[in-house]
Amino acid sequence: MFQNPEIALSELPGTDDVQWQTLDPSYKGLRRLQNSLGIVAAAVPLVTVTVAANLPLLPAVILFACWILLAALLLTWPGISLPKRGYVLRDKDILFRKGVIWRSVTAIPFNRIQHVETSSTPFDRKFDLATLQLFTAGGSSGDLKIDGLSTAVAEQLRVFILEKAGASIEIA
Amino acid sequence: MKSPDIEAWHRTSPFAILFFFGKIIRLITKNAWQSFAPLFAFLIAYKGDLVSKLILGGSVAAVALIVGAVLSWLFFRYQIHDDSILIRSGVIKKKQLDIKFDRIQAVNTQQNLLYRVLGLVTVTFDTAGSAGDEGNLPAVTREFANELRKNIGGRKTAKADDEGPAEATEPLLKLDWRDMIRIGLADRRALIIVAFIGPLMEQVGNMEQVGDNLEKSIENALLSANLDVSQLDVGTGTLIVVGIFFAAVFLLVSVSIAAAFLQYHNFELYLDGRTLRSHGGLITRHEHSMDIEKIQTIRLQQGVVQNWLGRFRMTLRQAISGRKQRSQKMFTIPVVTAELADNLRPLLLAAEAGRLTQNPRAERFQAISPYHMRSRILFAGLVPAVMLTALLVLEVGIVGLVALVWLPLVGLVSWRNWKRAGYLHDDNEIVRRSGLLGYRTVSLLFRKVQRVTISQSRYQRHKKLASLRVYMASGSVRIPYIAHETATQLRDYILYKVESSQRAWH
Repeated sequence: MFQNPEIALSELPGTDDVQWQTLDPSYKGLRRLQNSLGIVAAAVPLVTVTVAANLPLLPAVILFACWILLAALLLTWPGISLPKRGYVLRDKDILFRKGVIWRSVTAIPFNRIQHVETSSTPFDRKFDLATLQLFTAGGSSGDLKIDGLSTAVAEQLRVFILEKAGASIEIA
Repeated sequence: MKSPDIEAWHRTSPFAILFFFGKIIRLITKNAWQSFAPLFAFLIAYKGDLVSKLILGGSVAAVALIVGAVLSWLFFRYQIHDDSILIRSGVIKKKQLDIKFDRIQAVNTQQNLLYRVLGLVTVTFDTAGSAGDEGNLPAVTREFANELRKNIGGRKTAKADDEGPAEATEPLLKLDWRDMIRIGLADRRALIIVAFIGPLMEQVGNMEQVGDNLEKSIENALLSANLDVSQLDVGTGTLIVVGIFFAAVFLLVSVSIAAAFLQYHNFELYLDGRTLRSHGGLITRHEHSMDIEKIQTIRLQQGVVQNWLGRFRMTLRQAISGRKQRSQKMFTIPVVTAELADNLRPLLLAAEAGRLTQNPRAERFQAISPYHMRSRILFAGLVPAVMLTALLVLEVGIVGLVALVWLPLVGLVSWRNWKRAGYLHDDNEIVRRSGLLGYRTVSLLFRKVQRVTISQSRYQRHKKLASLRVYMASGSVRIPYIAHETATQLRDYILYKVESSQRAWH
């Protein structure tokens, strides 16, 4: 029997009272590690230039002050930004939020997901982490990337989402 | 296809050699022209018996091309199955392409002058998200192409049990010569060329010799006409420059009008069941088709000229696969009025929607928040203008204040943009309006949305505003600076529409 009840806008499920799942806590450590490697790598040319060009004291101090400032920012930033990231699985869609200054919430209905991919870099594997990527139609702009999930969670999500996406095969 | 030799390999008409000939030349010009450059340099530098060398080189190249084209044709074979078409091609590198009818978004045909005389067409299959290879069937008969199209389109219409083969339907739209002139005038390329050629022409006009000669000849002409030249001396130079400039503009406009005739002459638009078809063109006839189910967004667009003329360019976009050019995934109606577009919409959206207007001048559009303009002026206008001015004043003195001109410029653009932005929606679709010089409106069906993002900057959070971005398979549409509450409501409603939809989005 076909039914078509009227739906009031206010009765639609909102996202105000959802439980946001955070990323794996060890991801903060990984990002800090990666950033500190970058900082150290940046120090090498910095020192070389200072020594080779025999910079006067003031520019050298300014240069290194900038470096220290950048380093401090890069080491604290994961602690600020990563807790802002989170996802929610709902019955029919997945929500993902991120951003400190520019915040955004993305929603992907399961019946629009084309395929799902999990991947992990060698770094990720050391920390037992993985990245989950959801693809919708519409080219490269059409995918959502959730990094910093534990391998087990990423796998669970992949299976769950695939099942949901598969269950919603539509009548052409 | 009800032919008895269903599983046999077919070869296309030998006239397809022409197609392969063109294809090889295009391949060479695309990939290898750099390697030809030294050859040309060599030929030019060599003063000896250049002519005989050219003849020799040319004939060798021509023979190679012809042999290549003939071989390509010999090795090009296809098979038609119930639900797919199989194409084998390649002389050295063999290629097999298996195109499922389900995946075909559109069947387009092209017909150059020779093919038209012979009743042949080149068929192009537009596939969704394929690995990049487009299927081509060069030089097949028109009847064959029509039957193929009916077969491919028929598979879907049969399921939706629509009306039968609608043969002689009335065209929805016919373009005449006046429309060709409108298309030509509105051609953006012409404007760009004018902008580039303008200064160049001026230089040519300033070149002493040319200038002198022209001046002399004009003087002579005037003398013979018994006029007092001494009065005209000052103006002559500018007169010539202006004359040349206008001549160039006139030439370019004529060229783009001619191009419009070439591409769209006798343009006609039909709706056969659920397939939209268009054909037109002076020498080469282009025929395009699109399944209206596959339309993702409908776009009306105009530039300055079209704004004056009160016309729009209408494009229907279907899913893109990322690799392919957007333009290949579009169905274009080169010139329409807003009224006609609004009349076409219900047909294209097939009773599902289409009650909204896409006429940008309609009263019903809701404005976006004026903070859109304010934040633009603040972050793109005031801050850079002040910084640049401060820097310039320090460097070059008081003249640096000129940089403040940036501010009113940004202000004007932001105000115009805000004024022209807007949106309106009903239960099934949303229309977004934007623009600076002309207008642009985009409409989409809620149920075909792929995903939705709500984003907020710090400034927007402070003002309880948000931007909504709706991703379609053909790209995204953004509605900036609306109330956060409205944005979330719209988002939740779109999600509800998508998640409760039982129909395919493509």
